[in-house]
Amino acid sequence: MTEHRPGSWDPASTEPWFRSDAPAERWLLPGYSRDTRERTILLELLVRVAFPTVFVFSIYLLFAGHYRAGGGFSGGLVAGQAFVLRYLAGGRVDDSSPFSIRPPVLIGVGLTIAVLTGFVPVLFGAAVLGSGAVTLTVPVLGKVKLVSSLLLDVGVYLLLVGVVLELLRTLGSGIEADMAAGEGRRR
Amino acid sequence: MSVLVAVPVLLPLGAAGLSMAFGRFADIQRWLGLLVLGVIVVDAAVLLHVADVHGPVVLHLGGWRAPVGIALVADRLAALLLLVSVIVMFSVLLYSIGQRITDYGRGTASTTFHPIYLVLCAGVSLAYLTGDLFNLFVAFEIMLASSYVLITRRTTANRVRAGMTYTIVSLSSSVLFLTLIGLVYAATGTVNLADLAERTDQLPPGPATALALLMVIVFGVKSAMVPLHFWLPDSYPNAPAPITAIFAALLTKVGIYAMIRTQILVFEREPSWPLMLMFALATMLVGALGALAQNDLNRLLSFLLVSHIGFMLFGLGVYDVAGLTGVILYIVHHITVQATLFLVSGLVTRYTGTVALSRMGGLAGISPLVAVLFAVPALSLAGVPPFSGFVAKLALLRSGIELGTSWGYAVTAGAVLTSLLTLYAVARVWTRVFWGKRREPEGDPDHSDELVVGTGDTSQGMVYATGVLVGATVLVAVLAGPLSAVSERAAIDLLSGQAYRSAVLGGGSGG
Amino acid sequence: MLVLVAAHLFAALVLPAASRRHTRVAFAVAALLPTAALCWALAHTAPALAGRPPEESVVWSAPLSLEFAFRLDALALTMTLLVSGVGALVLLYSGRYFEPGGGDAARSAPLLLAFAGVMLGLVWSDDLLAIYVFWELTTICSFLLVGQSGVSRSSRRASLQALLVTALGGLVMLLGFIVLGEAGGTYRVSELAQQPPTGAPAAVATGLILVGVFTKSAQLPFHNWLPAAMVAPTPISTYLHAASMVKAGVFLLARLAPVLGEVGFLPATTAVFGIATMLVGGWRALREYDLKLLLAYGTVSQLGFLTVLAGAATPLGALSVAAMLLAHGLFKATLFLVVGTVDHQTGSRDLRELSGVAGRLPLVTTVAVLAALSMAGLPPTVGFVAKEAAFETFLGGEGGFLVGIGLVLGSVLTVAYSARLLWGGFAGKPGVPTSTASAAPVGLWLPAAVTACGGLVLGIAYPVIDVLAAGYAEQTFGHPAEYHLALWHGFTPPLWFSVLTLLGGLTLFLLNDRVLGLRELLPARLPDAQRGYERVMGGLERLAVGVTGRVQVGSLPTYLAIILLTVLLVPGMVMAFRDTPVEQLRGWDKVLQVPLALVILIAAAGVVRATRRMTAVLLVGVIGYGIGGMFVVGGGPDLALAQFLVETLTLVAFVLVLRRLPARFTETASSPGVQLPKVLLSVAGGVFVAFSALVFSSARDTPSVVSQEYLRRAEEEASATNVVNAIIVDFRAFDTVGEISVLAVAATGVASLVLTARSARRRRRRPADRTSTPAASAGSVTGGSDPEVAE
Repeated sequence: MTEHRPGSWDPASTEPWFRSDAPAERWLLPGYSRDTRERTILLELLVRVAFPTVFVFSIYLLFAGHYRAGGGFSGGLVAGQAFVLRYLAGGRVDDSSPFSIRPPVLIGVGLTIAVLTGFVPVLFGAAVLGSGAVTLTVPVLGKVKLVSSLLLDVGVYLLLVGVVLELLRTLGSGIEADMAAGEGRRR
Repeated sequence: MSVLVAVPVLLPLGAAGLSMAFGRFADIQRWLGLLVLGVIVVDAAVLLHVADVHGPVVLHLGGWRAPVGIALVADRLAALLLLVSVIVMFSVLLYSIGQRITDYGRGTASTTFHPIYLVLCAGVSLAYLTGDLFNLFVAFEIMLASSYVLITRRTTANRVRAGMTYTIVSLSSSVLFLTLIGLVYAATGTVNLADLAERTDQLPPGPATALALLMVIVFGVKSAMVPLHFWLPDSYPNAPAPITAIFAALLTKVGIYAMIRTQILVFEREPSWPLMLMFALATMLVGALGALAQNDLNRLLSFLLVSHIGFMLFGLGVYDVAGLTGVILYIVHHITVQATLFLVSGLVTRYTGTVALSRMGGLAGISPLVAVLFAVPALSLAGVPPFSGFVAKLALLRSGIELGTSWGYAVTAGAVLTSLLTLYAVARVWTRVFWGKRREPEGDPDHSDELVVGTGDTSQGMVYATGVLVGATVLVAVLAGPLSAVSERAAIDLLSGQAYRSAVLGGGSGG
Repeated sequence: MLVLVAAHLFAALVLPAASRRHTRVAFAVAALLPTAALCWALAHTAPALAGRPPEESVVWSAPLSLEFAFRLDALALTMTLLVSGVGALVLLYSGRYFEPGGGDAARSAPLLLAFAGVMLGLVWSDDLLAIYVFWELTTICSFLLVGQSGVSRSSRRASLQALLVTALGGLVMLLGFIVLGEAGGTYRVSELAQQPPTGAPAAVATGLILVGVFTKSAQLPFHNWLPAAMVAPTPISTYLHAASMVKAGVFLLARLAPVLGEVGFLPATTAVFGIATMLVGGWRALREYDLKLLLAYGTVSQLGFLTVLAGAATPLGALSVAAMLLAHGLFKATLFLVVGTVDHQTGSRDLRELSGVAGRLPLVTTVAVLAALSMAGLPPTVGFVAKEAAFETFLGGEGGFLVGIGLVLGSVLTVAYSARLLWGGFAGKPGVPTSTASAAPVGLWLPAAVTACGGLVLGIAYPVIDVLAAGYAEQTFGHPAEYHLALWHGFTPPLWFSVLTLLGGLTLFLLNDRVLGLRELLPARLPDAQRGYERVMGGLERLAVGVTGRVQVGSLPTYLAIILLTVLLVPGMVMAFRDTPVEQLRGWDKVLQVPLALVILIAAAGVVRATRRMTAVLLVGVIGYGIGGMFVVGGGPDLALAQFLVETLTLVAFVLVLRRLPARFTETASSPGVQLPKVLLSVAGGVFVAFSALVFSSARDTPSVVSQEYLRRAEEEASATNVVNAIIVDFRAFDTVGEISVLAVAATGVASLVLTARSARRRRRRPADRTSTPAASAGSVTGGSDPEVAE
């Protein structure tokens, strides 16, 4: 099947117009197949549903950490598990990932955020890595108490997602590509 | 002011993050690395000055006072060692950039080298500055994780095996360390070093001594004390020259530093510690004999490294002001000299194409500069005056004789013998590598790894960086007066522990 | 004074730039510096001898008592004449001797100058540690000068031997210095001399210092490095091994005489070693055919003589040692220079080949004869004056008559080999063709002539040398010696002994061949210092290889086993044998812990016994979940959550990697003999950890202060109800930042390893195509992904 790029229909091309907005990803599309022996339809469908849910759950864990079980670590790991599920079901992350960001960049950004939360309090006269709480009145939600350590949690979260993506990229698709290349088949 | 204490740790971590984010741009990575390390050098110098004049600089992270929060403490010892270490790291980074170890071929950026190097720097700084046992564990983890990556980077299959030895042994010692922390917390209820000092008095003597000895062993593995040293000669020589230089110069010294800090601060002891003197003697002799048996230049230097760790253990075993002054001087001297020697070894391999001493010859005629660059640190290592090795060794020998016990005399004699054996080893390298008939450089046996040998040319960066470090060793010798004065003050502070404890627990500077 | 020494060294640093191209000029310029030093010293003769020596001191490191303290007293002045005077002459000679533009010249000029400076520092030093500094520097300079470019094996071995033997002595001597300094409270020789330490420290220090003296001054049994070092070019041998470096030991004894004078065994020890050396050296000199080796053994012998005198600890001995130092320096330097000239002009120094040189090189011969007369101790040379004083010390009734006899025997040998030298080098021999020799250039015979004439002049004008030597004796012992150096004392016993010596020596020389024949009757395997040295070095090598081979096994399980064993032995023993209290043991806190513990234990056992990798990995996962379960039961939901998540991720990573590995473990099972100790060790390790946990947790029965603070502060100050999270991101946020960097590093490391393997494999597949960047090759194989470049 040929590649489709939505929204770039060239009037002079021979492609029919109703294909111009076909999905960009190849993940789970009919016709796109890994080795048919490895495909599990049930898993794919479930993951299709579960992925966003798990993702939202991880965000919840991130914000809820300070008051109930959770936190940046748990949130990041759960988000990572979501991507793991996606990989197990659908194949190579780099082909099907909605992120165009490279995992090392994500890791770097997470680490930088975490370190910045260390230095920023100095500007406000507090100690390094000091924390403070601010209570905001948000229109719909009412009073929202934000603690500055949430930023650290966000940094941890991003970093962990990046780590898991990196692992999937290297250990997952990297090794898979190796095996495929070793067996002489082109992906 | 106290934010200066956090800079050497947090700045490189942040820069590492940025470096990873900008993984595609080699220039940005290089300049970032050099800039950050330069800033830390300045910071460490300022810290040393302030610590020397005003007493320990304490930063309570997050504003939480110890023992609730983590305290970073920069006293004379920590600041001095930090300064020397970062200077060495800076020079080695220059060397690595010069060696193009950070790239592979033109036009490709390497994501891994610069961020990992910066993280390593952060780990080393944290190890020196932290006042908390668990934070020390974190520092070791940071350091060791970076070192695992650096030692296995771009290696061939058979060299990964050497890296595995190193990784597994270090992981085992980390497991032991973590167990130790668990035991410490179970027994005393705190992991803050200054607080521990007060609570170990309340422990019964059996567990207290066991804790002390377990700490000795854990840090002994990291600092390659005999009989825990075996991993070092098997793993260090297989990495590229600057990596080995950094490991040899810093990682083992951090182990020694941790041993000194924990033993002296936390436990009470009288001068003369026979167990440590025993370990020191064994380490000195086993290392020196091992060096004499080698044909591989890097392995020889690794064994000499082990041997000279024994000198530092010697000073620790003497356990009085004179001994500790000697240890501090020796650490300062050895960090610079050992790093320089490994860098020179890298230069030598570039020229000769081999690491086997029996296949080298006549290098003094080909490149007199390399000969001089080797001679200075080599003589310093062997303790020949007027170089830094002599000054440090003199301090240790004096302390050994002043101690007056039979163990003290025995280890002093052992130290003298080791010095002689080191001189012999170094002279052998000189006669085989720099004297003798000229040999043509052998080609690079393995183009796929990071060792580029036998090209007969070295880049300016490599030579300048090595020159800077050689100059640093000479500077250590020239500045022996002020350095020994600072070391003596640091040793006195260390033994009494009063200034440290009151700075951390009492009215020390907080936010 | 420091300026002068430093100027030598600085000029030596600068000289290499010039010495390759303008050899003679470079050497001449270099000779200026010792000359300047000599002039300066001579200008201060009066205060030096009168007891007001010029002094100077620069502190290097106060806490370590390291300072450069210089002091020009009588002994220093005497040595300066040798060091700087002969040094300047040798430098001028070298300018002519070395091939211009050659490597030897380029190397030797700066090194010789540096050596001159260092030697000057040595003789001027008043501080023990500074003496050591300069002592070792002379060792290093000598190493480099003897080895030259190190092309020939013999020069490498000789320089290494010299280095090791003298460095050994130096290090032992350093210990002696430290003992002395600590006992006396100061490292300044002049201050120690006023209040010498006594008792055991002084005796120990003396013994240690004597080792240093004996190695440097080539006494038995350390004497072999000196003849071996004759591979060096002649000017270097002259300066180092005749005039200055080897004298350092004797000089040190002389310098420390007031400090060590109280030690009882000093004269006896020096006498024994000195006489033995003198006799052995002279004996060997009679056997050598190489003129330079003959002189070398002669030097060994004379150094023995000097050692005996220096250790004598009487004013008369001091007088004679000062005189003899000067005399020996002058005549030995001359003779070495002459031999070098003969070698340079005729091309040989083997006395079996030389013949009739006297006719060809008359000036050189005259110079040689003058020096040989001084060596043999004939009037009116300074050698005679000094020898008379020496004989007077021991034979004049003050004691040590046996020593005197020994000295006489040694002098007999000296006369014999002096005659042998003259005959061998210059006489015409029947049956040997006359050697061809062009006339020697001025630069080659003038320096030797200066020293030879110096020997003659000082002998005739003996009051000059008397003032010098007497000054030293007085400064050392506080009162002048009654004896005065002179050519004629009357018909005293020393005179008769001198006559006896002369006759005996000449006889011995004439009967030399028969004596050599006698030698064949001696047992073949006499102790030989050179063989002893080689055997020691060989033994050291074998020891090194043996120890390292046994210890550095290369096996990872062994290393881990040793670490574990050390943990068990050292702290474990302490805990087992001290009185360690253990609180009441309970079975469990919650019933659910029991099945969980069982599951964990069974899974652990299963991992060890598993044969398939997947099984082992899954069981590891079970262990992890079991521990998570323990956390849940124990009441730590955050911990349990983290544990479950991490365990899942680890399992995933494991499974991903296992795709590349064989299904079963491929290592062969080790034999039961190896497995049993491993099992025992592991079990013991586990028991130790468990036991420690018990012991340590029973050491505290109150809750930790820190935990209470956390609980108290979490709500108000950290705005959190989840205390665990507050600890992670607030109280101990720094740990978190550290640990996430570890994670980042680990991920990067994994990427690096995997991708390295891939690129390595790719590179192997296309060995010829090394110019292609990895990016290009990556694109063609994997179609679109770019991890290589990003790596």
